Amino acid sequence: MSELPAIYVVDDDASVREALSNLFESVGLRAAVFDSTEAFLEVARPDVPSCLVLDVRLPGVGGLEFQEHLHRRRVRIPIVFITAHGDIPMTARAIKGGAIEFLAKPFQKDDLLAAVYQALDRDRALRIEERALAALRARFETLTLREREVMQLVAGGMANKEVAARLGVAEITIKVHRGQVMRKMNAGSLAELVRMVDRLTPAPRPASGPTRGTYTKE
Amino acid sequence: MTWWARLRWWSQQWPRMLGPTSGAGDARGRPRSWFTPAARACVIGLLPGLIALPLSLALQRLFPYPFLFLFLASVMISSWRGGMVAGLLSVLLSTVCVTYFFVPPFRSFAVSPIAETYLAAFVICTLLASWASSAQKRSEQALREARDQLEGRVAERTAAIQTSNAELREREHQLRLLTEVIPQQIWAGTPDGVIDYCNRRLLEYVGRSMDDLRGDGFLAAIHPEDRERFRHAWECALASGQSFEGEWRVRSAQGPYRLFFTRGVPLRRADGTVVRWYGTHTDIEEHKQAERALLQTQADVAHLSRVLTMGELTTSIAHEISQPLTAVVAHGYACLEWLGATPPNLAKAQQTAERIIQDGTRAGAVLSRIRAFFKKETAPREWLDMNDAIQDVTAFLHDEASRRRVAIRTEFAPTLPAVRGDRVQLQQVVLNLVLNGLDAMDEPMERAKDLVITTTRDGPRGIRVRVEDAGAGLSEETRERIFEPFYTTKPQGLGLGLSISRSIVEAHAGRLWATRREGGGAAFEFTLPGSAARDDE
Repeated sequence: MSELPAIYVVDDDASVREALSNLFESVGLRAAVFDSTEAFLEVARPDVPSCLVLDVRLPGVGGLEFQEHLHRRRVRIPIVFITAHGDIPMTARAIKGGAIEFLAKPFQKDDLLAAVYQALDRDRALRIEERALAALRARFETLTLREREVMQLVAGGMANKEVAARLGVAEITIKVHRGQVMRKMNAGSLAELVRMVDRLTPAPRPASGPTRGTYTKE
Repeated sequence: MTWWARLRWWSQQWPRMLGPTSGAGDARGRPRSWFTPAARACVIGLLPGLIALPLSLALQRLFPYPFLFLFLASVMISSWRGGMVAGLLSVLLSTVCVTYFFVPPFRSFAVSPIAETYLAAFVICTLLASWASSAQKRSEQALREARDQLEGRVAERTAAIQTSNAELREREHQLRLLTEVIPQQIWAGTPDGVIDYCNRRLLEYVGRSMDDLRGDGFLAAIHPEDRERFRHAWECALASGQSFEGEWRVRSAQGPYRLFFTRGVPLRRADGTVVRWYGTHTDIEEHKQAERALLQTQADVAHLSRVLTMGELTTSIAHEISQPLTAVVAHGYACLEWLGATPPNLAKAQQTAERIIQDGTRAGAVLSRIRAFFKKETAPREWLDMNDAIQDVTAFLHDEASRRRVAIRTEFAPTLPAVRGDRVQLQQVVLNLVLNGLDAMDEPMERAKDLVITTTRDGPRGIRVRVEDAGAGLSEETRERIFEPFYTTKPQGLGLGLSISRSIVEAHAGRLWATRREGGGAAFEFTLPGSAARDDE
């Protein structure tokens, strides 16, 4: 994808903001800087892979509280924490809350960039997945109620005959429905259809661990 | 002539023996209740006449013609001694006696026509004699009384003058004793500035005679470095007629200099012109040394407390230093990237290098601020802008406050008069007050945790600093005791911060007190006078 990722920096120290902005610019990234979390929330964020570089200690709402705040508001953005004096409980709390990295100031360029790229990769992957899911949902929406029923039962492992018996219709009708489902859902095989149904069924996801991925510089 | 003298003596004594004469005599005699003035007049009036009668009868036997001069004498004596009444009584007695015994027909009160003229002449003579004699007596009496009164008054006056003279002498003696014995050096001078009196203590201290000190000689005893200041102060006082004072080192007879406080006041006439200068000269060397020692101790304790406070703030301090360092490092990397690009972006690299210098300088400034705070020696007093000094403190505390979720707000007067003082110590006061405020708001609270530092002008040259928190506030009792050393309301507090802060403010001639904040919370205020009231030099 050719879209430019968005990097947000929130730090109350002007020179740190300026330095980070300069550093990102020097490696061909663009960062928007904010002196407070409130200012960050006020701007409209484009739908591109994003990353938040957040200072732990901020006036008013601190970085860690802000992380929880975003969680509650279901704002999903990977966070790289930076702090002048991180201790272990603080780090644990941040990572548990889904933070990508917890960097001590002053930090090495590679550490910061690695964390940022990782965050962007993860966000990108999530976004691709989200988009795919959204497309799937859109396809699912085109199914009739009977087709959805048929799909559920077929994906559950039933044969056409069993489905026909369960629904009290002729087997041939089920075959037609099934053909419609495969076409509308753009599934090449039954196995693919089963995976699609799995993805459409909301299941409790385990707490997201860091997903490994690579980001290619544009 | 002895018989004559004796007669005279008796003639003077007998009426006195009989009792007081009238007038001034009354005062001297002892009062006798039975011997009234009337009885006395009768006795004095009749007695000489009764003596004169037998004598005249006896004389008539020797001389054929009436011999009456004795009666005349008796009338004069009576008048003289007894006054007018006694005189008239004597005249009456004499006339009766003469008419009966000595005017024909004898031994009868009838008067022959031939003798009438004679008798009349006698009566007139006796009356005249009586009048003249008593008048004479009266005037003599009046004269004597006047003289006696005068003498009395002179004696009284003399006694009074003698007493007051003695008192005056005594008082003068006491005063002189006082000026010589009092443990204080005293001097006096003429209106044109010549010092012409120094008490013994002063002379003994400088080890010179009065003649040596007279006029400008006194200057020689003053430390050469202080001499000009002394001369200037003295000349100003002489010119203006205002009292003068000052501190200077004065050389003792043994050699070393000691610090003295001199104060002189003019004595003026009613019209305001100066008649004399009087002054004291007080050795304040030990006082000053004690004061210096106290200041040193105060500074030591202040330093200790400062170090302890800074210990509590290490996290914040680390943050304060790491911010510019973070910027420096990030800029450094960026600079390398700009240079390593193809083609190298030199403009950006240069810009970045400039930022590095800026942030590095800022880190250095933070460090030197912290170092100043840890420094032990007391800095010389300097003129400083309190807003600026407080700004430094809030920079330290910025991080600490945000950790405790307290917003520190400053409301500075746009322009503050400069105050003279020890910057670090004054910052310590603000630091203590702000940390106290933060501590007061550590409990979870419903209202917003804010801490406000306000600076305002206080009078034409002074300033006032107020630190308000939104904590629970102070009870009346706590407000009284909170400045006592080792009094604390915090579990881990030493109880020294406020007591040290107060002594610092007071050493700057200011005041520090606690009050309440409108709408809840405590407020601490301190004032500093515009010009330092105290010179340490």
